[in-house]
Amino acid sequence: MTALIDLKDVTRRLVDPEPVTLVREVSLEIQPGEFVAVVGPSGCGKSSLLYLLGLLDRPDAGSVRIDGRATETLSEVERTHLRLERIGFVFQFHFLLPELTAEANVALPIRRLGRYSRREADDRAHDLLAKLGLQAEAHRRPDRMSGGQRQRVAIARALANDPAIILGDEPTGNLDSVNTRLVVEEFQRLAHQEGRAVVCVTHDAGVAAAADRRIHMLDGRIVPET
Amino acid sequence: MGGFLVLAGIAFAHLAVRTRQTLVAIAGVAVGVGFFLAVSGMMTGSQADFIRTLVDSAPHIILQDEQRAPAHQPAVTAWPGAAVAVRGVRPQDEVRGLKDWPAMLAAARAQPGAVAAPSLSGAVAARFAGRTEPLALNGVDPRIEGQLTKIEASLVGGHLTDLEARPDGIIISRPMADRIGAHLGDTLVVSSSAGVLQRMRILALIEPDARAGFYAGDNAAYGLLRTAQVLFARPNVVNQLHVKLGDPDAAEAVAATLEARWGYKWVSWQERSRDIRNLLVVRNIIMYAVIAAILLVAAFGIYTSVSTSVTDKRRDIAILRAMGFTERDVEGVFLIEGLVVGVAGALAGFAFGTVLLEILARLPITVQGKPLVLPLDRSLRQYLIAGAASLASALVAAWLPARKAAAVDPVDILRGAA
Ligand SMILES: Nc1ncnc2c1ncn2[C@@H]1O[C@H](COP(=O)(O)OP(=O)(O)OP(=O)(O)O)[C@@H](O)[C@H]1O
Ligand SMILES: [Mg+2]
Repeated sequence: MTALIDLKDVTRRLVDPEPVTLVREVSLEIQPGEFVAVVGPSGCGKSSLLYLLGLLDRPDAGSVRIDGRATETLSEVERTHLRLERIGFVFQFHFLLPELTAEANVALPIRRLGRYSRREADDRAHDLLAKLGLQAEAHRRPDRMSGGQRQRVAIARALANDPAIILGDEPTGNLDSVNTRLVVEEFQRLAHQEGRAVVCVTHDAGVAAAADRRIHMLDGRIVPET
Repeated sequence: MGGFLVLAGIAFAHLAVRTRQTLVAIAGVAVGVGFFLAVSGMMTGSQADFIRTLVDSAPHIILQDEQRAPAHQPAVTAWPGAAVAVRGVRPQDEVRGLKDWPAMLAAARAQPGAVAAPSLSGAVAARFAGRTEPLALNGVDPRIEGQLTKIEASLVGGHLTDLEARPDGIIISRPMADRIGAHLGDTLVVSSSAGVLQRMRILALIEPDARAGFYAGDNAAYGLLRTAQVLFARPNVVNQLHVKLGDPDAAEAVAATLEARWGYKWVSWQERSRDIRNLLVVRNIIMYAVIAAILLVAAFGIYTSVSTSVTDKRRDIAILRAMGFTERDVEGVFLIEGLVVGVAGALAGFAFGTVLLEILARLPITVQGKPLVLPLDRSLRQYLIAGAASLASALVAAWLPARKAAAVDPVDILRGAA
């Protein structure tokens, strides 16, 4: 069985302003239905790894395969399209467009993909919000919601195009324990019941413990669990 | 199309939250477009009016019995390259005549929509009550000449065709009549260089009226062609052909063709008014420079507006890219922002410009005591030019910051925010 995400000896360096290696020779396989936590001290390269997985960044060496398909040779437009169809991001800060309602935010990637009419896209966005308990907030703008609600809207948006891969960068970093539990349960459901791969960078031991697998990073490398 | 609507939705949302800056940018374009319509409407309107006067007041083509280059002396032709001294050559000063003029007249009349008439013109002296003044007498065919020029509209006291019933009739300018103290119906004694004397009665006066656009000077006078031929003692001779064409713009080309075929000097209205038209070109350059400056200011408004939008929205750009929007999509969002400002500004400018033109049209202006209606070009063409220019400048002004938006690296922004 080919892994959904397959990294081989991935290295990512920066030369500007001073030479620094963000990710060093990382190899990693992630299967569908897996909930994986990435942990490690601040500055060890967790976010950098996530950008590489999510095709937002290109490695300087090594390969990133999605669905067994090499991504290095793809054009920027092809990589962007793959992101639109297959990958959903959730960040520590919600990153919703402040001018749009929750529903319009969630509908954006659906409408961009263009498989549904505007009406169907809005309906689908509404359903996703309802599943996350946000029916009442669908027509509110982000500045009129709580932090936990915004983060759930962001999750709904990440799920908009039914992606196989969910990438979270400290998605619970700004949430209280109740909201954190809601998000973790949602991630478990997405992996175990819907068969998606969920990769979640976290500093929260509880979140890490809830994952099927933990990847420890130190200084850009993956290190064995201690 | 669906993709475009998504981008347009984001663009409109951006504009809507920055209402004040957006309105300022729109107002900038509107002022530019409005002033373009008013200034350009006035300039092209008065210019078209002026050209029409140039075209209509006098024949489109005048054939004179002159050559472009004086003919070589026979001796020079006989000994080419030799040093030839020719002495005692006196320029002919009497009224000469056009050879083959009936054939040339027929050729001129064969042009599409053409009206052509022969005339004999020359210098005469007019005496009245002991005062003598020189006149440039044009012997014409009154009925055809009336179709060729606007003279009829500037006559007072009579008509050009009155000459047909009174072969001894003459038409002079009112300032000339004042100068010699003559009135309508008085009889002048007219003499030519050929020594012929003729008593001629004033049938009408030419009023130097700026608005009729016809005034050939105080000395110009009109009489019957036959009478002029008698005065100059040149029976059946003609020294000018006056031609009016169906299409005035063709005059220059037609004149060149006829000149190539028949010799002599065929002068089109374009050639006659070359200096004036060169002045108009300069005037137009100045006008368009001013307009360009106004549109440039409007473009700066759009540039600033879109540019601030790009800076404000870097986070949004990053998340759009992470979501799966391409660089082109991001560029499109900001281009649409500029375009919306451009279109809204153009529409507001159309309204503003229409109001300005309406005010100009009603402006009570008097020139030398006569009310003057400003000739204004209010055609659709003006609106199309203004609209196209403002849209083009809006697109360029938005494109520069939009490119910067497209170049935003989402990873940079995400790292900075995390
Ligand atoms: N733009 C940059 N220029 C220089 N160094 C950078 C830049 N961005 C990140 N780094 C460095 O790269 C390393 C990895 O950063 P990264 O954000 O991946 O760490 P992280 O594990 O996500 O940290 P945190 O847990 O604090 O989010 C860090 O040492 C950081 O200082
Ligand atoms: Mg990080």
